[in-house]
Amino acid sequence: MAVTFGTPAWADALTAEINASSEYRNAAAKWGDGFNGNVILVFDADDQMAQTRSLLIRLSKGTCGGASFLEGGTHPEAGFGLRAPFTTWKDVLERKTMAATAILTGRMKVDGDKMTLLKHTAAHRALVACASAIDTEFPAA
Amino acid sequence: MDKLLASLTDALQGTVRTPDQFTASQLQNYGRIFQWTPRFVVYPDSARDVTALIEFCRKNKLSLTNRGSAHSQSQLAINRGGVLVEMKAMNKIGAIDEEALTVDVEAGVVWRDLVHHLARRGLVPRVLTNNLGVTIGGTLSMAGIGVASFKYGSQGDNVVDMDVVTGEGKLVTCSPEKNADLFWGAIAGLGSFGVITRAKLQLRRMKPMTRTYYLLYDDLRVFLDDARMSMDSGTWDHLESWGAPCAQGTRPVSGRRQVFAKWFYPFHLTVEYDEGRPPDDAALLAGLRPYDNVYTDDCPTIDFLERMVPVFELWKKAGTWEFMHPWIECILPWETAADCMEQVLADTPPGIQVGGHVLIWPAKGTTSRSKNFMVPEGENLVGFGLLPAVPQKFWGEMSERFENVSRMMIMFGAKRYLSGWVNFTPDEWKEHFGPRWDEMVALKRRYDPDHILNPGFLPFEARSGAAAGRR
Repeated sequence: MAVTFGTPAWADALTAEINASSEYRNAAAKWGDGFNGNVILVFDADDQMAQTRSLLIRLSKGTCGGASFLEGGTHPEAGFGLRAPFTTWKDVLERKTMAATAILTGRMKVDGDKMTLLKHTAAHRALVACASAIDTEFPAA
Repeated sequence: MDKLLASLTDALQGTVRTPDQFTASQLQNYGRIFQWTPRFVVYPDSARDVTALIEFCRKNKLSLTNRGSAHSQSQLAINRGGVLVEMKAMNKIGAIDEEALTVDVEAGVVWRDLVHHLARRGLVPRVLTNNLGVTIGGTLSMAGIGVASFKYGSQGDNVVDMDVVTGEGKLVTCSPEKNADLFWGAIAGLGSFGVITRAKLQLRRMKPMTRTYYLLYDDLRVFLDDARMSMDSGTWDHLESWGAPCAQGTRPVSGRRQVFAKWFYPFHLTVEYDEGRPPDDAALLAGLRPYDNVYTDDCPTIDFLERMVPVFELWKKAGTWEFMHPWIECILPWETAADCMEQVLADTPPGIQVGGHVLIWPAKGTTSRSKNFMVPEGENLVGFGLLPAVPQKFWGEMSERFENVSRMMIMFGAKRYLSGWVNFTPDEWKEHFGPRWDEMVALKRRYDPDHILNPGFLPFEARSGAAAGRR
């Protein structure tokens, strides 16, 4: 059954996907090891979403300690941020756009040490794959 | 008879071909990504022919593209609607000076022919590319790097002087001392400012035999430490390395299972020696820390220089020579090289070995003076290349991934080597060349004001009404 994007149920579904993913567990085994691996995904308001929202995902060494949607685009517990208009995120989650392409072409902005992020590209790809695996219902514009 | 054809034929001593006489290979380069049809293909007889040809193209607003063996993979060595010049027609090897250790060659000479010609006298060009089937003019226009570049820089760094026919149709002799701006414009200049017609190359004496140690590493960082030590030792004549995949089965990537590999790193270290005086193995290998010492090979130096021939023959027999070749080669800063290569190789399927390979070459940032051959800052550098052969039907789904590999390399501080597949935006070109770009624009204005030479790759802005065949 589809889960509505932006709801606590969706955040819980993502946590479950990550912790069930061997791809993520292997790819992100060193993510958050010696640094803050919590990631905030920022969905900037655009013509499909009226208000900027974000999702804080607590990540460390291949596991997820929970995820929660927030109002606004920052959180003191976040070590890294990925920011893009909601429509770009939707394309990524629906696998119409590769997250790597969005990041490498600047359509998705990185907040945090870019080199650290580059050294863990497989981890982020696996994270996006987990999010894309959720049967998602996006709210109408 | 077409008036234009008649006029062109009259102007030249060489041969002119029209579309009904073109071969399929003249419409593509080794990349097989682009297919362009020129209006004429010309086989020039001399530098005078090239001069006349450029005058003809300027007068008739036609673009001109010169090609050697057409081993490049982007919009080079192919022409759309203008004149394609087969430089291999100019293939005379001239005087050898055994005192000064130089040789004069026409630009269409194939390196293999030169190597065999010189070997009889115990001489060899200082730097050779792995593929000897390419031309002198072709690799000088690109830079030309090989397994001795860590000592001698690029092939372009080992040119004493050369003749270049500029885009204005003037035959100019240039060197690092004389007409230096044109010289360094033409070296690694992708044919943008003139057509190289002759070069005097610096040679060295070679010993008749080589011994190559085939070392294998299972740890990229240990390998790089040993590569740096080997470059600095002053012992080795040639250093060559690869990434070699050992398939590990499948794993999910973005939720879909894909074959993946554990990567190993063969490192071949070669010394030349005189017959009967083999090197001291233990002394040479002291301090190196390979996972395994796989094999030690003795062979005549001429055979060593031809070592890639069986590989290329295999690619041809297997048919992969005809696949697309979106090669992605770059030069990485030493400091980020291991991180970059680990990220790229983690996503590189072992199937890249089918008709292709992964090159890694330790290099020095201090050996090249070339102004157009862009490399990162630093004393030590690492060349890294993914050299796939891609069946045409897979191109659509793979091109974005290859572009991302290129982008990732650049984010790690790399400069792309431009013989491969490069799909830069104009801004990315400017970023690639940095401050040199403005100088190149000025050189273009000065030496090829009508923008007739090799259009379609570097984004020089043409004046309206200039030559045909531009993208």
